[in-house]
Amino acid sequence: VPCVSGGLPKPMNITFVSINMKNVLQWAPPEGLQGVEVTYTVQYFIYGQKKWLSKSKCKNINRTYCDLSAETSDYEHQYYAKVKAVWGTNCSKWVETGRFYPFLETQIGPPEVSLTTGEKSISIVLTAPEKWKRNPEDSSVSMQQIYSNLKYNVSMYNTKSKRMWSQCITNHTLVLSWLEPNTLYCISVESFVPGPPRLTRPSQKQCVSTLEDQTSGLKVK
Amino acid sequence: EFRFGSCRVEGVVLPELWEAFQAMKHTVQAQDNVTSVRLLKQEVLQNVSDTESCYLIHALLKFYLNTVFKNYHKKIVEFKILKSFSTLANNFLAIMSKLQPSQENETFSISESAHRRFLLFRGAFKQLDIEAALTKAFGEVDILLTWMEKFYQL
Repeated sequence: VPCVSGGLPKPMNITFVSINMKNVLQWAPPEGLQGVEVTYTVQYFIYGQKKWLSKSKCKNINRTYCDLSAETSDYEHQYYAKVKAVWGTNCSKWVETGRFYPFLETQIGPPEVSLTTGEKSISIVLTAPEKWKRNPEDSSVSMQQIYSNLKYNVSMYNTKSKRMWSQCITNHTLVLSWLEPNTLYCISVESFVPGPPRLTRPSQKQCVSTLEDQTSGLKVK
Repeated sequence: EFRFGSCRVEGVVLPELWEAFQAMKHTVQAQDNVTSVRLLKQEVLQNVSDTESCYLIHALLKFYLNTVFKNYHKKIVEFKILKSFSTLANNFLAIMSKLQPSQENETFSISESAHRRFLLFRGAFKQLDIEAALTKAFGEVDILLTWMEKFYQL
């Protein structure tokens, strides 16, 4: 039985939250319906095509999000999505996103960072983040394969001198030399690609200490 | 620097174009109600060879300047996005004026291929009501910039 459209207030703040091409539609419940068992129905649309499409797993759901990663996995396409609230035979009007362009809007997650310390040096090896995949057993696709111009901003902090500096690199390794021995350094890395500004997400800060100065232990005869 | 095959264009800062378009994107795209049509379809921009790219970008920028931007100006004033619009238009003009697609016989077939792609785009444009077409073309500048970025080197 089709519901009476407009009988309920619309859901609010509908938006795509996208990280490494995992594209999740999110919204807030309609105002003034606290305590009411509202459900939601989602549809999506591929720009340039003809019809709105449904996702069966996001029909009459209680939660306020719907993972549309599979449906929006062709990142060179652009998409719209919409949601409506349903309660009994009443439902709200649809509320729609703006045009969503995964290739330009997905947030590039941080790389994996591994550190190796030397006496006056720290070697940093980065592994590009992985694109969302449909099944865990699917082969991985690196975000580097999608964005050939992927770069990294490496931030470094000397906890002794309280000095911070950063460096932008394109390859996956960086050796920090001429460091102070026996000093704790904290490092965080974020990925970014040229193009329109987008949110970034730095890696977890990792702190390592350079080794003792071997020469200081020697006795001068 | 842009490198569209042998065509080199220096002195254009692509991030500025992105910033300009981002400031207009939601306003303009929200006006596009004909979501079942995409002008810059994948057949227009996918698998374009380097040599073909100079012909295609020249034709597209010329169309954007002489048709889209020229006739969409009233809306731009109405939406109060003149500054961003000017940045975009001036940069498109700068790029186009520096492009010199080769006119030699050997490249005739390549320019023809680029021209067919351009006609695909313009054909879709002409099928729409002019106001809808102008709005749609303007709203698809992000697709155009994404393609141009492939030929851009810092």
